[in-house]
Amino acid sequence: MGIGDARIRIPDRISRGDLITVNAIVSHPMDTGFFRTVDGQPIPAFFIKDVVVSYGEAQVARFEWTSGVSRDPIVSFTLRADKEAPLTIVWTDSKGGVYRQTVNVAFAAV
Amino acid sequence: MTSRRVFLRGCALAGVGVLGSSALRGGERLLAAVPARDPGDPEVPNEQVARILKDLFGDRPIRKGHISLDMPAVAEDGRIVPVIIESDLPMTAEQHVKAVHLIVDHNPDPHLAAYHLTPALGSVAIQSRIKMKRTTWVRAILETSTGDVWAAYAHVNVSLNGCG
Repeated sequence: MGIGDARIRIPDRISRGDLITVNAIVSHPMDTGFFRTVDGQPIPAFFIKDVVVSYGEAQVARFEWTSGVSRDPIVSFTLRADKEAPLTIVWTDSKGGVYRQTVNVAFAAV
Repeated sequence: MTSRRVFLRGCALAGVGVLGSSALRGGERLLAAVPARDPGDPEVPNEQVARILKDLFGDRPIRKGHISLDMPAVAEDGRIVPVIIESDLPMTAEQHVKAVHLIVDHNPDPHLAAYHLTPALGSVAIQSRIKMKRTTWVRAILETSTGDVWAAYAHVNVSLNGCG
């Protein structure tokens, strides 16, 4: 996975009103700025600092991160699936890189 | 001879006297400095953490409860330490958990993450993985829409420095 490649996982079968768990991962080095390369060159800080979660038109969560979050950061949270709508996560890093991933929350046919 | 013996005895007694009194004073100081506390309570925050708490919550009391922080007691690799934060508080339009703050006392940047939440999430159940520099207390502190502040603490022994 290259920097910024992202995946969002939600359950396969969702019914209206379910409390679902959303798992998300983005590929990123999350460099703290405290490490050096094998040649002794400092590795500058480079990390995801802002994560915005939208469900349909609404922003439902926002996370502020530092380089203290592990490499290839994962986050999981719950969501009340009360409508069929896209779930979008946008990650922004400290150098202005913006990474986006979307999944569709759709209800299983009864 | 007699004078030497007397002199020595005098020295010994004086020594005991000095030792005894200083030990006693030390003991009193120790007792005064270490109030009885719950082993689940963290150390008093260091200056940096105290400032972060003050900036976030002002003078509001930070009480224990309504939030759980699940972390390993021993983290072998400080680069990847799992964190699970949960709360039993409601997530409704009237009352919800507005934010959860994760603070690692002895990390270079102690205020590691802030999670801003809305009722649309339905519950508070956040999982992530963080870096830890060394053995320390971790604080998960939530703020409700009504301004209440609740906290949970975990002490994590770190074997391998994950912060460089």
